[in-house]
Amino acid sequence: MLSDHIGGLFPSGGAHTEIRAQNTESVKISVVGGNLVANAASETGGVCARVYQNGSWGFAACADYDEAGVKAVLREAAQNSLFLDKKLQKGKQPLPLSTPYQAAEPAPSPVIPRKMYIDFAMELDDYLAKTYPKLTGRRVVITSEKFEKLLYATNGTKAYTVAPRVYVYVFLSAETKDGETLELFEVLDGGHGYFPDYFTAPSKYYEIIEKLYQELMDKTEGIFPEAGTADVILAPSLSGMLAHEAVGHTVEADMVTGGSVAGHCLGKEVASPLVNMVDFAHTALGQSTPLPIFVDDEGTLCEDEVLIRDGVLVGYMNNLESSVRYEMKPRGNARAFAFSDEPLIRMRNTAILPGKDKLEDMIASIDNGYYLTRTGNGQADTTGEFMFGINMGYEIKNGKLGRALRDTTISGVAFDMLKTVSMLSDDLVWESSGYCGKKQPMPVGIGGPAVKCRVSIGGQ
Amino acid sequence: MKALKDIASYALQALENAGADQAQCVVAHGKTREFTIDGGEINLIRTLFENQVSLKAIKDGKKGTITINKFGKADIDKAARDCMDAAEAGVRDEAVCIAELTENADFRTGAEKEDMDGLYDRIAEYLQTVKSDYPKIILEQVIAEYSEADQVFMNTNGVCHTTHHGGYYFNTMFSAHEGENATSFNYCDAQFNDLTLPIIERGMQRELYERSQMELDAERLPEKFTGKILVAPICLGDFISMALGNFISDTSLIDGTSPWKNALGQKVASEKLTISMSPLDARMAGGERISGDGYVSENYDIIKDGVLKDFGLSEYAAKKTGNRRGKNTSSCMVIKNGDTPLQQMIQGIDKGLLVYRFSGGQPAVNGDFSGVAKNSFYIEDGKIKHAVTETMISGNLASMLREVVSLSQETVEDGSSSLPYALFDGITVSC
Repeated sequence: MLSDHIGGLFPSGGAHTEIRAQNTESVKISVVGGNLVANAASETGGVCARVYQNGSWGFAACADYDEAGVKAVLREAAQNSLFLDKKLQKGKQPLPLSTPYQAAEPAPSPVIPRKMYIDFAMELDDYLAKTYPKLTGRRVVITSEKFEKLLYATNGTKAYTVAPRVYVYVFLSAETKDGETLELFEVLDGGHGYFPDYFTAPSKYYEIIEKLYQELMDKTEGIFPEAGTADVILAPSLSGMLAHEAVGHTVEADMVTGGSVAGHCLGKEVASPLVNMVDFAHTALGQSTPLPIFVDDEGTLCEDEVLIRDGVLVGYMNNLESSVRYEMKPRGNARAFAFSDEPLIRMRNTAILPGKDKLEDMIASIDNGYYLTRTGNGQADTTGEFMFGINMGYEIKNGKLGRALRDTTISGVAFDMLKTVSMLSDDLVWESSGYCGKKQPMPVGIGGPAVKCRVSIGGQ
Repeated sequence: MKALKDIASYALQALENAGADQAQCVVAHGKTREFTIDGGEINLIRTLFENQVSLKAIKDGKKGTITINKFGKADIDKAARDCMDAAEAGVRDEAVCIAELTENADFRTGAEKEDMDGLYDRIAEYLQTVKSDYPKIILEQVIAEYSEADQVFMNTNGVCHTTHHGGYYFNTMFSAHEGENATSFNYCDAQFNDLTLPIIERGMQRELYERSQMELDAERLPEKFTGKILVAPICLGDFISMALGNFISDTSLIDGTSPWKNALGQKVASEKLTISMSPLDARMAGGERISGDGYVSENYDIIKDGVLKDFGLSEYAAKKTGNRRGKNTSSCMVIKNGDTPLQQMIQGIDKGLLVYRFSGGQPAVNGDFSGVAKNSFYIEDGKIKHAVTETMISGNLASMLREVVSLSQETVEDGSSSLPYALFDGITVSC
C-alpha cells in the first residue's frame, strides 16, 4: 500500500500542480512448446510532480517515494517550468479547475503465488500437446499487472486508485500442405481484476481452444482474398479496433492540434447516421466497462465523452490545457502509464454503439465479400487512414460463408469508410488485453458490434 | 560506480542467502532530461531520476527473475525472496544459465555531461529551420532529451562489468498541411553524443520533410502491378527487423516455426545482402557494450553475402536449440551499401514504388506480409512521378530478401543504424 507522504507537502493555491505516487506490479509467464521461457515479475514505483506556469509545464519523477522524494520532485518540476517560462514567456492564463474526485484507500490486494500462474500455464500447455498432435507450435502466455496510484491535484482531488488486469493468451501454429507455418491466437479470458477472479481450471477454456484449433485448420486450407475494395463484415473485435485506431486517435485534442483530419470536421457528418461512438469512462449501457476509470492523472473526474452522434462528429478528448483551446469540458482523458510518465490525452473504453441487425442477416446481405473475424494489430494516421492486420476470416459468396482466408490486411480512410456503414449488429463486445501506443503504452478497452462496410483489402 | 557495485554485491549475497545455486543482477542508476514539443511549440521539460535492480536466480535448474527500482536493503531482500519463490515455482530446464566469466570490462562512452542550454538552443534553431525551409510542415510531436546512466552487471561466476553512457536522443513526428489538405504523418529519430550539428542535419530529415510537402499533391496509383519497390533507409530497417523477428528470434527457433531453422550456413538471401549487428561501429552513438546475457558485446554478421551466418540468439535459446549465442543483443543494424548511385537506381525502374514508411499487420510466421505503403511515390520510366494515396503492398519477407535487385552507394546514419536504399522485385502493389 502507498503511504501518504504527499498531503502535508501539497501546495495550497498557486499554479496548477499534480503530485502522484505510483506502484506498478507485473508478472509475465510464457510457455513455448512446453518450455517455461519467461517467469518474470517487476515491481517499480516512485513519485512524480507536474507544475504549470503561464503555459509551460515542468515535470520530475524519482523512485524514492518518501517526504524527501516528494520535496525533490516538486522542486525540480517547478524549476523546469520556470526554465521554460523564462525562455518562452507564453503568458497564458491559469488552467481551469476541473471537477475533482475523492477516493479513499481500497481494500488490500490479494497476493497471488507465482506457482498458481505457472501451474495453470503448464497444465494448459500439456493439454494442447496431448489433444492437438498436428500442431507445429504452441505458446501459452499469462500477463498480469496492477497500477496503484495516490494522486493530489490543485482542483482538490485526493484519490487512491487500484487498477489490476490479467489475461491468458494461447497461440497455435500448424503447417499447410505446402509446409508453410500459420498461426492464430486467442485471449482466453481476463480483464479488470486478479488471476483467481477469472481463471480456476484450464478445462473451462477447452471449448474456446477447440474453436480456435478448428479455425486454424480452416486457415491451413485457406485462400488469399482478391486485392482491392470489397464489401465486408467486421467482427466486433475489428470494429472496436476501428473505433480506437481509425477514429479515436484523430479526435484526441493534441492530435487535432498537431493537424489531424478531425480539426476540420467538428460538427460535420463523418459517418453513416447509423454510427454512434463514445469514449466511456467506467460504465457503458448499464454495465461496467472492461477497464473502468474514475479519475484521470490531472485529477479530473472521468465522464463519458460522446465523439460521434448519429454520424456527426461532436467532440474531442481533452486534457485541461486543450479543453481551454477547444472550449470543451475536460472529461478525464489525461492518463499516465508509469510513475515517471506525464499525463497525455488517451482513450479509455472506446466503442461504436450497437445497432439493430442480426449477424446472420448481415452475412446474408452480401453476394461477394468477406467476413473478417480476427485482428492482431492496427495502426492509424492523423489523416484518418487506418490499417488492420487480419489473422482470420472467411469469404462470403451469395450470402453464405465460404473458404477461410490467410493472413492479410485491410485499410481505408476512417471518415470515408464510416460513411459506407450500412448495418450494425445488436450486440456490443469488448476487448481490453492490448496496449495503445503513444509515447507511453496504455491499457485501453475497445468495443463494438459487427459492422457491414466497404474497405480495401490486401491480397497476396 | 562503487555504490552501485556495493548494491549489486549485496543483491547477489541476498540471493545466495535465499538459496540460489547461481545468481545474476543488473543495477543501474540514471538521469534523463527531456523537452517535449507539441504542435510545434515547446511545452514541457521532464526530469527523471531512475533506478533499476534486476535479479535472476537459478535453483535446481529452475529460473526466476524480478525487477525493482529501489536500492534499499529491505527492498532488495524482499525482491531476492520473491525471485527465489518464482524459481522454486518454476520448471527445471537444463538450458537456464548465467554468463561464464571471460574478462571483466569497464566502459565509459558518449557525452560526459548534459548541456541543457545548448540542447534548448538546438531545438529552437530546429523549430525555426523547419518553419522557414519547410513551411507546410507541422511538427506534431518532438522529443529531445539527454540521458546518462551507470550500470553494473554482476553474477556469481565472478562476472562484473560496468558501463557509463551519456547521450542525446531526438524523435520527430510530422506531416504537411495546406488548407484542409494534409498528408500522412511520418517520423524519424536520431542518437548523438554532441551538439556540434544542427538537429535537422541528423538522419535523413531534410529528404523526409521535402517528400512530405510533395505528398500534398498525391494521386491514386494508376494500376495494380507486381514489380519493384525501392525502400528508403528509414523503412528498410523496419522490413529487415520484421524478417529477422520472424525467422531468427528466440521464440521462432525454440518452437521450431522458423522457416530458417535449418538454414545456418546456407544461402537465404541475395548475395548482395550483408546484415550485421554492430554496436561497436564508430557511427553508433549509443552502441551496447555489455550484452543482455552479460558478455562483452562484439559485432557480428547475421547474413553475409546472402548466407545465414548467425541466428543472434540469447544464451538460453542457443543452449535450447544447440546453436551459438549472438555476440550482442543490440539493434545497431548495419546493412552493407551497394555500388549503384540512388539516382541511377531510380532511372533503372520502369514501374515501381519508392516507399518511405510501411504500416502493416504482424507478418505471418512464414513471412507473408501486407500493408499500406505510406509516404510513398510512384516511379515510372525512371522518374518519380507523384506521391500515392491508399496504396497497399504485399509479398513474402523471405522471398523479398532473395529478390534484392540493387543497394545504393548512399547510406543514412542515425546513430543507431547505417542503411542504404534497397530495390526489391516481386512485390504486389495495389490500390
